[in-house]
Amino acid sequence: MQYLVQLLISGLAIGAIYGLIAMGFAVIYKSTGLVNFAQGEMTMITAYIAWTISTTVSGNVFVVAMGAILAAVLLGLVIERLVMRPMLGEPVFATVMVTIGLAVILRSAINFIWDAYPHGLDIGMGRGIVHLGSIGVRTGQLAVIAALLLLLAAIWAFFRYSKVGVAMRAVAADDRTALLMGISATKVHALAWAASSVIAGIGGVFFALSYDLSPAMFQLGLKAFPATILGGLDAVLGSGLGGLLIGITENLAGGYLGSGMKEVAGFAMIIVVLMVRPFGIFGERDIERV
Amino acid sequence: MRTGDYKQSYGELVALIDSPPVWLWSAVLLLALIAAPHLLNSYALSFLMIILITVTGALGLNILTGYTGLISLGHVGFLVTGAYAYAVLVSKYHMPPLVGFLGAGVVPALASLIVGAPSLRLKGLYLAITTLAFSFIINTVILEMRWLTNGARGIQVQRPEILSISFDGDAAFTYLCLGIAGLTLFATLNIRRSRVGRAFVAIRDNDTAARVMGINLHAYKLFAFVTSAFITGIAGALYGIYLSFVSVEGFPFLLSIEALAILIVGGLGSALGAVLGTVLIVLLPEATRLVFSLFSAQMDATFTTGAQELKSMLYGLVIILFLRFQPRGLVGAWHDIKRTWVHWPLRY
Repeated sequence: MQYLVQLLISGLAIGAIYGLIAMGFAVIYKSTGLVNFAQGEMTMITAYIAWTISTTVSGNVFVVAMGAILAAVLLGLVIERLVMRPMLGEPVFATVMVTIGLAVILRSAINFIWDAYPHGLDIGMGRGIVHLGSIGVRTGQLAVIAALLLLLAAIWAFFRYSKVGVAMRAVAADDRTALLMGISATKVHALAWAASSVIAGIGGVFFALSYDLSPAMFQLGLKAFPATILGGLDAVLGSGLGGLLIGITENLAGGYLGSGMKEVAGFAMIIVVLMVRPFGIFGERDIERV
Repeated sequence: MRTGDYKQSYGELVALIDSPPVWLWSAVLLLALIAAPHLLNSYALSFLMIILITVTGALGLNILTGYTGLISLGHVGFLVTGAYAYAVLVSKYHMPPLVGFLGAGVVPALASLIVGAPSLRLKGLYLAITTLAFSFIINTVILEMRWLTNGARGIQVQRPEILSISFDGDAAFTYLCLGIAGLTLFATLNIRRSRVGRAFVAIRDNDTAARVMGINLHAYKLFAFVTSAFITGIAGALYGIYLSFVSVEGFPFLLSIEALAILIVGGLGSALGAVLGTVLIVLLPEATRLVFSLFSAQMDATFTTGAQELKSMLYGLVIILFLRFQPRGLVGAWHDIKRTWVHWPLRY
């Protein structure tokens, strides 16, 4: 029983990180109709920048957080402006291949700029252990679950009540009509990339906080991918919850079936989900079938 | 006076080679390739081998992605399955290499049925996602089936001896690769000409229209999947023999992306494009290294320490630039040049 609870809690913690990155996928898909295969790499860059700030500038929590968020916004905007905007109007296949090219560039750039060794992100918190009954949990793990829940609420409110959020939904639903209504689609796209970069970046920083930074971190993107599919590519909140589900499934599969299963449980799950409900649990049904 | 390229019958339209100069240049190229193993040093020869093996794999993916328009991000899965099928049959159970090659084609083809049959209901990105998942799952399956595949330890593979001809030397093995690549090129060109190939292209261009014309979408998509996996598996076996060692690490996920990059750079949906793209992508790192070393010794040093990273950055950059500025790839550029040449000084 204790083993099960332990697995569940650590599954929730890693799942929250997947959820954050998956929300990054969903934000971009929802407003631009693209799957951004460079999401994992963007997550990783933000985490590495946070680490660089913490080792060179200051280890203060707020400095690191503000620096990382600014860097993520900048990264998202630059990518949107330089790489994605020129591809507007091209077929989806071409645009998605561009994000794959981007992923390759970012990944090797990270290896080129930073080294290939794992580093711990030390900002004086996150590594402490809290005892819940007889189970020890890292504070960083608890914090990321809390962060995911907070962000879910914030994003729900943003899309529901704010003018910009409604504009983003409008562009996603029908960009031509939105343009006619005076909404700038390019601004919405830029905002989506920046927001996605920040949300996924938060996931990356929390990962670095609870575990370690390493060049293998881009795989987080691949792991978060099943979460987005599970929750629905166009469902931002669903993706967050999908992350939690995938995290738990993976951890249970790893704990009871063997470590090899841990790696593929998520993928096996999306294959099943895609067969039964291609649009995900919370997604909208608009997938064409043959 | 007529200028330009005219086709007056369907026979001319589907002809494998449509003009005498093409015959001539094809023959010259073939002779050059036959002479190459005796003329090149072993360093250059290794590039030729890699090009020939990669061409085989790229042509395999081209049937699926180029002709039929189904995006696969998991082709490295078929590549590794083929390599393991060959290694297990030949090195472990001491079957003759020909049986090994047959197995290297058939096993991935069967695997493609398993992954293809359910996922062909999905289109575009969703298919890309299931194939991506497949390539990760197959790696785990291989690592878990230790009794058959030695798990993470991998399997040693010898150069084969077929019909009492030994392909042990580099030159001999290059001929084997040349033979298989040539056969594959011939086969895929002919598939494109045939009824099946036209059905593939119809599905790619407009699947609803294709279905209205009486093309069984599911059957043809599955057929494209199986053919593509068969060819890719054989390329995998060749690559395994080239590496002389088959392990999961030898087939990184990046290969899937590299293969798509080759098709994009060459020109999607064209066999010639697959060949041109392969040559460019395989030689690109080497060409950059040469250019760098011309500039300064210091840059050369940077390139050696960060060679792998710069190489992959270059891949990414080339993919993006081609998609942005020449979406029809090298073949498209070639057609433009040809047209300009024929029509000059007129523009049309």
